[in-house]
Amino acid sequence: MLDKPASALRLRERLLDSERLMEETGCYDGITELTLRNQDPLKFETLHTKLRAYCVSAREMARRISASPGVREVGEMVVAIYTPEGDAIALSNGIMVHVHTMSRFIKWMIKNNYEENPRIREGDIFANNDAFIGTVQVPDVMDVVPIFHEGTLVGWAGAVCHELEAGGITPGGDVCLAQERFTEGLFVCAEKIGENDEIRRDYVIRCERNLRMPIYWVLDEKAKVASCIDMRESVKQLISEIGLDYWMKVSKEFIEEGRRAQLARTRQLTVPGIYRGHTFYGHVTAGKPGFQLLGDPDWLYNIPIEMEITTDGKITMDFEGTQPWGYHSMNCTPAGMDGGMFVTLTQHMNFEGLVNDGAWMATELKLPHGTWTNPDNEMVATATSWALLLPAYGVFQRLLSRSFLARGFVEEAFVGQVNSPMIEMGGESQYGTPFGMAHFECAAAGSGALAIKDGLDTAYVGWNPESDMGNIEVWEQSMPMVYIGRSIVPNSGGAGKYRGGCSFISTWLINKTSHLRLHTSEHSSRVFDNVGMCGGYPAPTCQKHRAVRNSNIHELAARGEPLAHSPGIDPHVSDYEKNIGGDHVVVEGPYITSPHKSGDIFSHSYNGGGGYGDVLERDPIKTAWDVENGFLTREAADQVFGIVLKDDEDGYPIADIDATVERRAAMRKQRLAKAIPVADWIAAERGRVEKADFAPEVKKMYASAIKLSSRFTKDFSDFWNVDARSIFMPGAKP
Amino acid sequence: MTSYSKEVIRDLASGQLPWPQTRRIMSAYKDDDRFFKMVAVYQDRVAWKDPILLPVSDHLFICQSGDERITRCECGHSFGDYRKNWKLNAAIHVRNTEEALREIYPNSDLPDPQWMEIREFICPQCGTLHEVEAAAPGYPIVHDFEPDLEGFYREWLGKPLKGS
Repeated sequence: MLDKPASALRLRERLLDSERLMEETGCYDGITELTLRNQDPLKFETLHTKLRAYCVSAREMARRISASPGVREVGEMVVAIYTPEGDAIALSNGIMVHVHTMSRFIKWMIKNNYEENPRIREGDIFANNDAFIGTVQVPDVMDVVPIFHEGTLVGWAGAVCHELEAGGITPGGDVCLAQERFTEGLFVCAEKIGENDEIRRDYVIRCERNLRMPIYWVLDEKAKVASCIDMRESVKQLISEIGLDYWMKVSKEFIEEGRRAQLARTRQLTVPGIYRGHTFYGHVTAGKPGFQLLGDPDWLYNIPIEMEITTDGKITMDFEGTQPWGYHSMNCTPAGMDGGMFVTLTQHMNFEGLVNDGAWMATELKLPHGTWTNPDNEMVATATSWALLLPAYGVFQRLLSRSFLARGFVEEAFVGQVNSPMIEMGGESQYGTPFGMAHFECAAAGSGALAIKDGLDTAYVGWNPESDMGNIEVWEQSMPMVYIGRSIVPNSGGAGKYRGGCSFISTWLINKTSHLRLHTSEHSSRVFDNVGMCGGYPAPTCQKHRAVRNSNIHELAARGEPLAHSPGIDPHVSDYEKNIGGDHVVVEGPYITSPHKSGDIFSHSYNGGGGYGDVLERDPIKTAWDVENGFLTREAADQVFGIVLKDDEDGYPIADIDATVERRAAMRKQRLAKAIPVADWIAAERGRVEKADFAPEVKKMYASAIKLSSRFTKDFSDFWNVDARSIFMPGAKP
Repeated sequence: MTSYSKEVIRDLASGQLPWPQTRRIMSAYKDDDRFFKMVAVYQDRVAWKDPILLPVSDHLFICQSGDERITRCECGHSFGDYRKNWKLNAAIHVRNTEEALREIYPNSDLPDPQWMEIREFICPQCGTLHEVEAAAPGYPIVHDFEPDLEGFYREWLGKPLKGS
């Protein structure tokens, strides 16, 4: 039974009514006056702080229930409290991307008449990980419970954990080999998985029989349900203190206040106008085992973004001109795109005050139908959405940063995020049992630079503002590999006046297993997936994988000989090749190969961020420190940054300032000598464009963008003064 | 209301403000008088007299130059009407070979120059590297920013530009 809601309307009617009121008044739920806030602002603020405290406390409690190092160590969890219609009122820290995706999940159930069947009762538990209903990818499993107060549905409590294993075609959660929905793993599609506060046994059995490592998923379910119940009881207690009518009004005023605050912050921090940027993502799978030839095995995606800030403070992001969805795991649903927007806003603008869904309501996404951002086919795979989401929202961060810079808030300008490639694995564990896991040390990549300082080293990812790589010892308990190296990757931040944050690389010895499947995902091949800003260079983000099969590492260790703990700084011959015997492997793109066994070595590096400003303005003293500490090589300092280093009496690098000034003056002259006027370059390049003298993947990218977007076609044609359609789609009907 | 001295804003902009103080500024409520203070800081930095209307990059400014509004480099070089893409009046160096890319990435795996090139947009007068694009060959040059300058001054700053 659905008990009487406060407004006497059924939930679906209330939701539609709320949407109508928003459309008619421009204000959330038709709230044109913040009456309660005006009456007693202190009470208003105090109540929201309490709600936030409920969320933070519930999440921390739940993390102690989880068995997953992803949740316990890295904090891959978020919880939130919602209105009856499914709009977020307050949320915890953590993976905030899911606050709005859960909102979509609740609204989807309401719009699909869950009140009638399967009904919404006190004590019910609903779960979902279907991105077309409302999540980002299959490992993001969310649970919500309704909150009833004396028989009236007064809200929802929700929680999301990122699962380390989802039962897909490849082990882990991001399932790099998924090319259609049917290979992504265990789907729970807005399903009632429990009643009377208890998870159904048959649901648990389904999880246990369809996952490689069910203990992670099942205990995470218990953690999430516990956190939801905790929040629910806190809200009920609060309502008993403040009264139901006050709760129903104040919870919505919180959201309208959040919406207004976002608009006000935009007006305070930015400059109105049109901002543009783009990024690219390359994928190379030709000849790799397991990939079905459902589409082109190698492809290049362009991700152009146009952001408009209007004088009323609204931010609109438009993805027109990007590529179609494909038979790969990197498509994204509008829910995922919303999530990306939400988590980026929480880091840049919406980080104080009443953080809730109101901020999202002050923005708009234009996601062209049929593209990877909004597929017109719900059978597509979205297991690795982040691969395209992260570069896209890195562009958003730079566009926002341009606006902060223009407004004078230089300390907020931030070059942003890049992909943080992930390694996933499964097979036989070191205990001789079946296992599967995503390795979440990737949650600590390098950030883009800021406009006033270097980026964060090994301390940032876009999807979790509380970046953490976890402890080596904890990861080693969970997988049949032991670390033989974890070190900074020199030069992995983009060069600039302020360099991007550096990433790290891990090297493992595979240990106590005869069957370890290792796969990687979410890293761009053949192109850098994000750039710098204001003259800063992109970070080098298309690293290859290096492994050694049948290594002689045990013999070397027994003889006490030196090992290799990282690939080193020679791009042509790695330290593994120099120091370790065995069959050396270098792989471009996703690592999809036959299983490894004990004695093999595998390495995987993460990404750094782009640089800011002209590299010839970088502080020589800081650069010397960077070289001393392994963030930059001497070669880069000299050749890229133009900084002449010498050694002090103890052999440490110090900058020779006079020589540096001289060298940089020469480099500036050389720069001008090599450059040509842009008009000359365009005139020369036009011939190449007219002949479509490009790699097949580049030509295909242009043809796809032209097919989907008249604006892209016009912009391309106007820029080069050509007919883009006749060049890239000869014979196509106009 | 939060407010900082021009000296503090100058040091912040140049990256010279000590980190604890910078951190406090990042965490505090924003100073509503920031824009004009920052413009004054930039105005002190340049040798030319045209009033700065808007910073658009690290060393690029939209300024009022007589009756025109133009994008100007800190060194004084004009890139023309601010509504046009300043990059079209810049000098460019394109890195589209492994050798040219290796100069910037001496120790890393490189992109495939058939898939991506790096374009450096340089001031033809002083040689400052103003912007770097990483794009597929043939991709049109991006017009990064078209500010609504008049709307900004009129509606957000409450100080309409002369001649608007």
